[in-house]
Amino acid sequence: MILEILSVGLIVSACLALFLDEVHYAVGALAGTFFFISLIYALNGSVYGAVFQFAVGIGTLTILFLSGEMLSEKTKKKTSPRKFAALVGGGVALSLPAVFLSVSGTPQGYSTASFGAALWEMRGLDVVLQAVVVLTIALGIFIVLHEKKRGTI
Amino acid sequence: MNFVILSIVMLSIGIYGLLTNRNLIKVFISLELIAIAATMNFVLFAMGQGLGEALLIVAFSTDTAVSAVILAVLVILYKKYGISDISKIPQLIQNKDEEENEVEA
Repeated sequence: MILEILSVGLIVSACLALFLDEVHYAVGALAGTFFFISLIYALNGSVYGAVFQFAVGIGTLTILFLSGEMLSEKTKKKTSPRKFAALVGGGVALSLPAVFLSVSGTPQGYSTASFGAALWEMRGLDVVLQAVVVLTIALGIFIVLHEKKRGTI
Repeated sequence: MNFVILSIVMLSIGIYGLLTNRNLIKVFISLELIAIAATMNFVLFAMGQGLGEALLIVAFSTDTAVSAVILAVLVILYKKYGISDISKIPQLIQNKDEEENEVEA
């Protein structure tokens, strides 16, 4: 029952995030989306997935709040209560198929490797190369900022 | 409860938002929803097994890279043209080209 409630919350918050007129409220609704998806992951036994989703979500939300405040045109248009109710109703209606319908032949649990084994033995090269890419980007940004400070670019 | 249908619904909402919204922040939110719909399958098909979570982390890094690119575009757009509405960009570029041509003439 709790998963059904969370999935309804997920769809409703996604609809609000996309269609609310105020950027700040839309970002707040996206925070709800991240919260609900993290809870769904945790309740399905994927605690690491939930933690990573939550961490990535918080980073994204911070950037979105800042950019929403600084880099968007200030709109005087407010979301009317009627539109808000319509969005919530539409979200609930959209989530009903996921709650009541089922798809046969859904594959489940084909791998028995633990998280650590899967991460380092199966995807180890990916993880190391990702770290290399992230460090290269950080180094590139540092060089660009340093050269900008010196006035050479 | 079926997570495949939930994922499809999330994907549909994200694609609809991507096609209808012109504000770059809303486009960014749409892409986040599409990414959530895609990564949801890794975790929920694996049902707590390790491989799904390992693939989820790989997907997160891709998602974060996409987010960084969109935010960079947003910052450049706002700095150069003072807008975040992507539908106005072609008009602004055209106006700027015409102004430059007039100055050259």
